[in-house]
Amino acid sequence: MTAVHTTDAAVPTNSSAPRRAAPDGAPRRRGGAFDQALPYLLLAPAVVAILWLIGWPVLSVVITSFRKLNLRELTRGEVVWTGLDNYTKILGDPEFWAIAIRTVVFTAIVVAASVVAGLLIALLMRQISPFVRILLQVAMLLAWAMPLLAATTVYQWIFDQQYGILNKTLVKLGFDSFAGFSWFSTGTSTLAVIGLLIVWQAIPFLAFSLYAGAIGIPKDQYEAAGIDGASAWQTFRSVTWPELRPLLLMVTFLSMLWDFKVFAQIWAMKKGGPDGGSTTLPVYQYLEGISKSHFGVAAAVSVVMVALLALLTFQYLRRLVRSQEGAL
Amino acid sequence: MTAKKITTNVVAVVVALLFAFPTYWMVATALKPRKDLLTGDYDLVPFSVTGSNFATAWSKPGFLNSLGNSLMVSLGAVLAAVVVGLLAALAMSRMRFRGRKGFVMLMLVAQMAPFEALLIPMFLMMRDLDLLDRLPALALIYFAVTLPFCAWTLRGFVNGIPLELEEAAMVDGCGRWGAFRRVTLPLLGPGLVATSVFAFVTAWNEFLFALSLINDQKKETLPVWLSGFQTNFGTDWGGAMAASALFTLPVLVFFLIVQRKMVTGVTAGAVKG
Repeated sequence: MTAVHTTDAAVPTNSSAPRRAAPDGAPRRRGGAFDQALPYLLLAPAVVAILWLIGWPVLSVVITSFRKLNLRELTRGEVVWTGLDNYTKILGDPEFWAIAIRTVVFTAIVVAASVVAGLLIALLMRQISPFVRILLQVAMLLAWAMPLLAATTVYQWIFDQQYGILNKTLVKLGFDSFAGFSWFSTGTSTLAVIGLLIVWQAIPFLAFSLYAGAIGIPKDQYEAAGIDGASAWQTFRSVTWPELRPLLLMVTFLSMLWDFKVFAQIWAMKKGGPDGGSTTLPVYQYLEGISKSHFGVAAAVSVVMVALLALLTFQYLRRLVRSQEGAL
Repeated sequence: MTAKKITTNVVAVVVALLFAFPTYWMVATALKPRKDLLTGDYDLVPFSVTGSNFATAWSKPGFLNSLGNSLMVSLGAVLAAVVVGLLAALAMSRMRFRGRKGFVMLMLVAQMAPFEALLIPMFLMMRDLDLLDRLPALALIYFAVTLPFCAWTLRGFVNGIPLELEEAAMVDGCGRWGAFRRVTLPLLGPGLVATSVFAFVTAWNEFLFALSLINDQKKETLPVWLSGFQTNFGTDWGGAMAASALFTLPVLVFFLIVQRKMVTGVTAGAVKG
């Protein structure tokens, strides 16, 4: 690109230019205008798609949240503004708060568990022999590659009340009380199973990226720590941790984004049940919006959901945007 | 020293077994005759093996149909997202123009769009476009979901190819298009494959929009079909595991091919930019 611009700029100052430019001058000038328009032409489809399919829905969800929009209004095409009614309705509902708090706590536990386990496995991968490492990596790949719904179905089968292998194993080990034990009888134990499923599928990405980060740490730093006689824990504190911190922050941030919005596993497992006990904000939004056709209320739930997520990730988001601005 | 080494290796093997177990159990169950599944016996290893569960799943009404729907929607969306994303990536990475920073920022921000929170406006939009209960609605949404990721990740991969290579080709008489086609595009190959696979898996897995926008059973995608498996067929766990295994297989193959590239691609996209 740069080369083309330089030649173009050189043309007017070059004395032999007019003669040479005569036959191919016109196409070249056209090329110049084309060159200038080219980046915009290349970007246009993406920008149009993003503004239309993401930008407008973002705006629209905020607008819809101030409307009364049930099936009645939708079929009649009525526009009924209700101000903050949808918000006062959901924020005044204790059940909504129970669901919101459950979502935040669930996200926090799942993220913490998967990041810590991912880090431990990443560090473990550096210590083991190559054959075992490949074994571990293939095993993690199996978990990572299983589609969400396939994984959910497998977990339902493993935790099956009557014939699940887990209950059978526990009975075999002497815990007879687990014969016919129902893992899905309370919201908390249902969420525990779902959490385990999410962590199991989240760890591979975390472990692989943290392992990639860990092997990038210069060897001489460890050698220096070894010469100083640092213990394993001291080496971790003073070498591994500071080097891995930015990467850890990033994968924690990504995990929060992903886990806060989990829907498929929760819905497929017990549809938010029993008695709404495993309902989280995305499930609540689906129930209000699609099942009950309360689109205005559901839009307000979405806005609160995004606000909560922004609150959770605000600090990191700010740092990310600032660091990107410098790097652009 | 050696004792410690042995301990860590043993721990790693145990962790590996824990990770592999659900996959093993899926396949083992899928291979078991139905009568062996519903007994109280402890059956960690399938002693009699049958292919009948796979045959059942394959011939169940809905499976092949929803497999086809999923393939069509995912492939269509990803193909479009990769092409449009690549064009944008080339502009962002290779050209200098007014407003460039703004465009790059737009791609970064769009990548973090909370799609699950856009369920209601998307639903209303597809209703206005008369696309409810029609597969193009899903294709359009999956295109939008994967596009910012494709543009951003491909930008990272293009950045990794030295501009000097293209310039050298132009000095040697290639046009700009020729230089791109002969030098950059082949080097971009692995990046394109990795990006496509990751985007494909996102679309292949998607559940919320598929569940919300499609009512017609004939237009279900595979995840929705699988989530209804238990109610449709009682508790045919052998069939459910066989269907799950068939659902997993293509993704597993893709992952094995591009696993290494994917971690670098995704983390490079998110950190370095």
